[in-house]
Amino acid sequence: MSAAADIKLRVAEIQRFCMHDGPGIRTTVFLKGCPLRCFWCHNPEMRRQEKELLYFKNRCIGCRLCETCGNGVHSFDESGHRLDREKCKSCGECEKNCPASALRICGEDMTPSEILKEIKKDAAFYGISGGVTVSGGEPFMQSGVTELLKLCKEQGINTAVETCGYYDVTAALPYVDLFLWDIKDTDDERHKKNTGVSNRRIIENLLKADRAGAKLRLRCILVNGVNTDDEHYKNVFEIASALKGCVGVDVLPYHAYGGSKAELIGAADRQNKALIPTDEQKESFKKALKRFI
Amino acid sequence: MKFASVNGIERPVRLSEKTRLFAYESLGHKYGLDTKKTMFVTMDGTPGFDQLTNIEKYDAAIMKIAAEAPLRVCDGELISGAATLGAAISHVIPAYYKDAPVFMSLSHLTVDFETVVKEGVNSIRKKAEDSYKKYKGTDREAFAKSCLNCLDAFTLWHKRYITALKEKGYDKNVKNLLKVPFSPAETFYEAVQSIWFTFAFLRLCGNWPGIGRIDKILGPYLKKDLKDGSLTTEEAREILAHFFIKGCEWICGGNYGSGDAQHYQNIVLAGVDEDGDEVENEVTHLVLDIIEELGISDFPTTVRLNRNSGEKLIKRVAEVMRLGGGVLAVYNEDLIIESLTDYGYKLKEARNFANDGCWEVQIPGKTNFSYIPYDFLQLLQKNTLKNYEMTPDFSDFESLYQAYLKDVRGLVEGLLSSVLKNNMAEQKDGQWIWKPNIPCTVISLFEQDCVGRGKSYLEGGTVYSVISPHIGGLADTVNSLYAIKKLVFDDKKVGFAELMKILSDNWEENEVLRQYAKNKYTYYGNDSDEADMLCRRFLSDFADICKSIDNRSGYMFPGGVSTFGRQLEWSPHRLACADGHRKGEVLAANASPTPGSDREGATAIIKSYCKNDLKKLPVGAALDIRLLPSCTAGDEGLEALEALLKGFVLLGGFFMQPDVVDAGILKEAQEKPEEYQNLSVRVSGWNARFVTLNKEWQDMVIEQNECGCGY
Repeated sequence: MSAAADIKLRVAEIQRFCMHDGPGIRTTVFLKGCPLRCFWCHNPEMRRQEKELLYFKNRCIGCRLCETCGNGVHSFDESGHRLDREKCKSCGECEKNCPASALRICGEDMTPSEILKEIKKDAAFYGISGGVTVSGGEPFMQSGVTELLKLCKEQGINTAVETCGYYDVTAALPYVDLFLWDIKDTDDERHKKNTGVSNRRIIENLLKADRAGAKLRLRCILVNGVNTDDEHYKNVFEIASALKGCVGVDVLPYHAYGGSKAELIGAADRQNKALIPTDEQKESFKKALKRFI
Repeated sequence: MKFASVNGIERPVRLSEKTRLFAYESLGHKYGLDTKKTMFVTMDGTPGFDQLTNIEKYDAAIMKIAAEAPLRVCDGELISGAATLGAAISHVIPAYYKDAPVFMSLSHLTVDFETVVKEGVNSIRKKAEDSYKKYKGTDREAFAKSCLNCLDAFTLWHKRYITALKEKGYDKNVKNLLKVPFSPAETFYEAVQSIWFTFAFLRLCGNWPGIGRIDKILGPYLKKDLKDGSLTTEEAREILAHFFIKGCEWICGGNYGSGDAQHYQNIVLAGVDEDGDEVENEVTHLVLDIIEELGISDFPTTVRLNRNSGEKLIKRVAEVMRLGGGVLAVYNEDLIIESLTDYGYKLKEARNFANDGCWEVQIPGKTNFSYIPYDFLQLLQKNTLKNYEMTPDFSDFESLYQAYLKDVRGLVEGLLSSVLKNNMAEQKDGQWIWKPNIPCTVISLFEQDCVGRGKSYLEGGTVYSVISPHIGGLADTVNSLYAIKKLVFDDKKVGFAELMKILSDNWEENEVLRQYAKNKYTYYGNDSDEADMLCRRFLSDFADICKSIDNRSGYMFPGGVSTFGRQLEWSPHRLACADGHRKGEVLAANASPTPGSDREGATAIIKSYCKNDLKKLPVGAALDIRLLPSCTAGDEGLEALEALLKGFVLLGGFFMQPDVVDAGILKEAQEKPEEYQNLSVRVSGWNARFVTLNKEWQDMVIEQNECGCGY
């Protein structure tokens, strides 16, 4: 047995028939855990690396079969189903018992070859451009991701990775056809405030990957009043221009859908429609980045 | 003047302003309302009509139609001929006697337009004259005479048009009609007029034939004209556009239940010819241009794809497809040709397949076709499971399955034998002979072997006679069986008798188990082998049953899968299902998954469908796929749609009709129908202008879009 056989990745979700995570038809593998804490996060259930209980309130029929939980997480009172998440050990017992699929453990440990098997299900639709996109969370937070990417490449599957850039990706470079690299903000103070980390390391990793020959698409979230200033647009343009391997820049306007997902993990919905960028802001950004759009 | 698309993508403008206006008015009911001004000709004044034989009555009716039907020449029309009697829109021969139609008419067939264009109607007359000589004094004389009479009627109607067009100064149209359709066409323009004029006459007489392989027929003429410079591509597009626009002459607006655009005028594009060479040519692309620009959905068009289909063709198909309306569907001809030859058709015929009214595969110009739909879910519920009352206690899944198969065999045998006995009679010596049927000479003229054999389309004249039993409710049936297997026999969640009681009570007071059945199992359409393989097994057993039916009569009984929207009329009669559905819910369409049970998206649906041994169903099994406009937006979306089509071929699909449509837009169209007059949707094998569906149908289409879409 090689060491690779022991590697497991914590998968939040595998989604087939994705059209917006790179070229062609793709299967997107969402890995769990992210070092950033962006307040606008649209996959809040994928931030923590630990397994987590998701609760889909609208599906619950109040049958109380989850009350058999040995840790006492679930209880019912006049206001309905209450969850004491502190007590949850993510054992999955309630998920098994819930007939309505209102409860789900997010985070399944899978070996790269188990994941590959899922990815290969749609091989007939990948053609020359489609393939797999590893996303998250932050894929490189789990070192085993390189093994997964290597395995995909060996099988001739086109690979893309959606990354926040916080980790050094050098080891994975030979196995990645395209990086979808987030540039959340070019103002470091704001970056620290809004994501919890400095962007220096992210830019350094980006430049390093570029020097090593990575093919890159920059993905820039646009949040009204946060990074909708000309200075930021100009900086993004400069970064894109400095890269040898940049094949384009995508503008990702903030949306408020992450809010309902926050409720799944019992977190407050901090989404705010006022943060949605205006058409004018989107246009200004695109204009500044015209060469790359 | 706007031609609606479901996703706001602007339709390109290639045609002249005049032609676009012609299309706009035609889609806006102008000619349909005109057609309804004269509903029929009357036979009341025909002396001795009561005393005539059936076929004499028929001939008299056709002659009267030819002599009296109003002639319509639309302003600036490039091709002429029009089916101007309103009763034909209701599928009868528009000749009435004492306030009732005298005869029904025919549909679900594609006639032999290729012979009309290449050899001219005079070649058919020559054959009819020979036949008349040959069969004079025999029991076939009356039909042979009828052929000559109907050709006389066609000639008369043709002369009336020439006179009218001369008067109005339509010199080009006159020039073409002086040659076609009676003599062979020599140019593209003549060839288009030849098909149209013949098609218009067939429709005038109440019939609804398909067009078939229009690019195969017209392509060589256009190629020659372009080469010698006598025509430009732009001119050819205008001419062909008029063919499509004139095909909208029966659009009347208003509310029609299943829509106002289903007259089975099907078109099949591309694919190989009899020798195995690819047909795709300039005409293929002109048809796609026209559909793309005008959004005309009245000719349900299916493109034959194969593993060698060109990138250019696939890209164009995807581009037109994503404008929505479901105007385009695709066949995987690699599988279909093999399926047909396996079934016993000659390779050259198999390669020339087209279809009937929707997508059921047939050999054009050679096939007497009919199909019998039946709700196989009700068969399971009412026969095998005895309405969940007094149900035999099956001790294992296999005995339940075998009991069901036995019922399937009984049903199929019963359905086929009753249809067969309507048409044929078995003699004492074991020979089967055709019974007299309603006259149908006009169609018979254009179906191979009828004229030569001296027998009509309905009396054994055609090369092939096909009755196809169709499974309706495939996914629902498979899911019900699967749920019983899992709940009772595998997981022992509930006893068999107990489950029957629960289903009989329509899941009342059993919400927990109902939720369990609905959510905890993975059903057909999710690329999950367990359910998919049960579907494969069932379809395969069904095909074997169809194949094993006694066919000494010469009839063929290939199986198929369809609902064609019948799920709506079946739903009130359906009982609760073990997969968690309550009584009366509207369930799966065609070979598609049950709405709401598909959770993995379009690729998984296609994979589940392709796991079936579709080769064993030579008539076909249709897969509907609904996609949101956002899935197909931009270059990425286009690429994805192309990849879906290629995957469908690669995995061995049969027929797929993707529709790009947004439930939100449909709801808006429901509220403001006046703004969405020409918005079309794929219903089930045909297209309908959404606003002409009644509320029930509209809601079904919306619900399918909300659930059955892949994203």
